Amino acid sequence: MSRLKKDYESSRFRRFEKWVDGEVSPPEFCMETRAPLKRIPPEELSGPRLNEEKINAQVYDERHNKELKIFRVVNKFASVALCVTLIGVLLWTVVYLPEFGNPDNPTNNEVAARYIEKGVEETGATNFVTGMILDYRAFDTFGESCVLFIAATCVQVLMRLDDSDDKEKMKKKQAEENDRIYEPKNDLILQKVSCVLVPLLFIFGIYIILNGHLSPGGGFSGGAVIGSGLILYLNAFGFKKTERFFTEKTFRRVSLAALTFYCLAKSYSFFTGANHLESGIPLGTPGAILSSGLILPLNICVGLVVACTMYAFYTLFRKGGM
Amino acid sequence: MEWVRLSVSAVLLFSGLLIFVAAAVGVNKFKRALNRMHAAALGDTLGILFMTLGLVVWKGISFASLKLLLVVLFFWLASPVAGHMISRLEVMTDEDLGEIEVEHREDI
Repeated sequence: MSRLKKDYESSRFRRFEKWVDGEVSPPEFCMETRAPLKRIPPEELSGPRLNEEKINAQVYDERHNKELKIFRVVNKFASVALCVTLIGVLLWTVVYLPEFGNPDNPTNNEVAARYIEKGVEETGATNFVTGMILDYRAFDTFGESCVLFIAATCVQVLMRLDDSDDKEKMKKKQAEENDRIYEPKNDLILQKVSCVLVPLLFIFGIYIILNGHLSPGGGFSGGAVIGSGLILYLNAFGFKKTERFFTEKTFRRVSLAALTFYCLAKSYSFFTGANHLESGIPLGTPGAILSSGLILPLNICVGLVVACTMYAFYTLFRKGGM
Repeated sequence: MEWVRLSVSAVLLFSGLLIFVAAAVGVNKFKRALNRMHAAALGDTLGILFMTLGLVVWKGISFASLKLLLVVLFFWLASPVAGHMISRLEVMTDEDLGEIEVEHREDI
C-alpha cells in the first residue's frame, strides 16, 4: 500500500495539479488589487482599422501583468527550442536512413519486384501506379472513393439549407440575394476567359482519366481537373446555368452509379478472399487505350466520384445546396 | 555554340528568378491588398515566361518544350483573370481603400 500524505490538499503536487486543471481561484494566490486602468476612449480603438495593439494592451494590461510578460518571453524561447529540437531529431534520424537508391534497401522487397516484373503482364497497364491502385489494391481505392462520397454526404448534412418551410425558402432566397450583392457576378472578362478555358479543362481531365493506365494520371487527378472546370464555369455563369445540367439529383445518381459499379465489378475478388479471379475482360495489348481489362472503367468511376465531390463541396460551402 | 545556349538560358533563368524575388518582396512588403496583387501578378506572368523560356533554351525545342509553352499560355489566361476577380472583390468589400480611385462600370 502506498503511503497517503495527510496534508495532500496543501501539498506541492496537489497545488500543481490544481494549477494544471485550472481550478485555482484568484484569492488563493493573489487577488488583484490595484487601481483600474485609465480607459482608452472607444473612438480611438475602433475606426477604419481596429488598433490591435492598443486593444491588446487594454485587455491584457501587459505593463502590470508580470505573469503574462514572463509567459510571453518563455513562450518565445520555448517555441524556438522546440523547433530546433524537432529539426535536430529529424536530422539525426536521417543519418540512420538507408542510402537513397541502394538496391539492398528494405523497401526493395519481393512486392515491388513483383509489380515491376509482372505488373504489365498481369494488369495490362503500362502505368504501374494505376495497375497497383486499381488492380492489386483495388480494395484500398474503393475505400478512398467511398471516403470521398461519405465526406460529401457529411458536408451536405452540415451545410445544406433546408427549404421545407416557406420561411426557410425566403431565408435562402435572401441569402442568395446577398450573395449576388457581394460576389462579382456576370463578369465579362471571366466569362470570356472561361469560354476558352472550361472546354480545355474538361478535355484535359477526360484525357487524364482515359489515359490513366497508359501515362501518369488516373481517376483522382483527372476528376479533380474536371471538378475545377465545373467550379470555374459556376463562378463565371452562376447557379442558374449550372443547374441545367448539374443538380443534387445528378450528383446523387452519378456518385451512386459509379460507386455501385466499382463495388460490383471488384467485390467478387474481395469476397473470395482477394485471390484475384479473372474478370473475363481480355487484357488487350499493353499501351492501347482499350486494354488492361477493368482498370479503364474503374478509372472512369473514380474520376466521376471525385469530380462530383469537388463540385458538391464548393456549392455546399457557398450556397448550402446544389 | 553550346556555351552560348547555356549562357542565354542562364540569363533568362536568372532574370526570371529576379522577378520572382521582386514579387515575393513586394507581396510581403506592401500593406494593401491591391498593391500586393500588383506585385504578385509580376511573378505570375513575366516571371513564369522567363523561367520557361530559359528551360526551353536549355533543353532545346522538343515536345516537352511545347508543353511548357502551353503551361505559360494557361497561366497567362488564368492568372490575370484570377487577379482581376480578387481585386474586384477587394474593391467591393473594402470600405477603406485609401487614395485609390475606383471607376465603377456596369458593363464589365
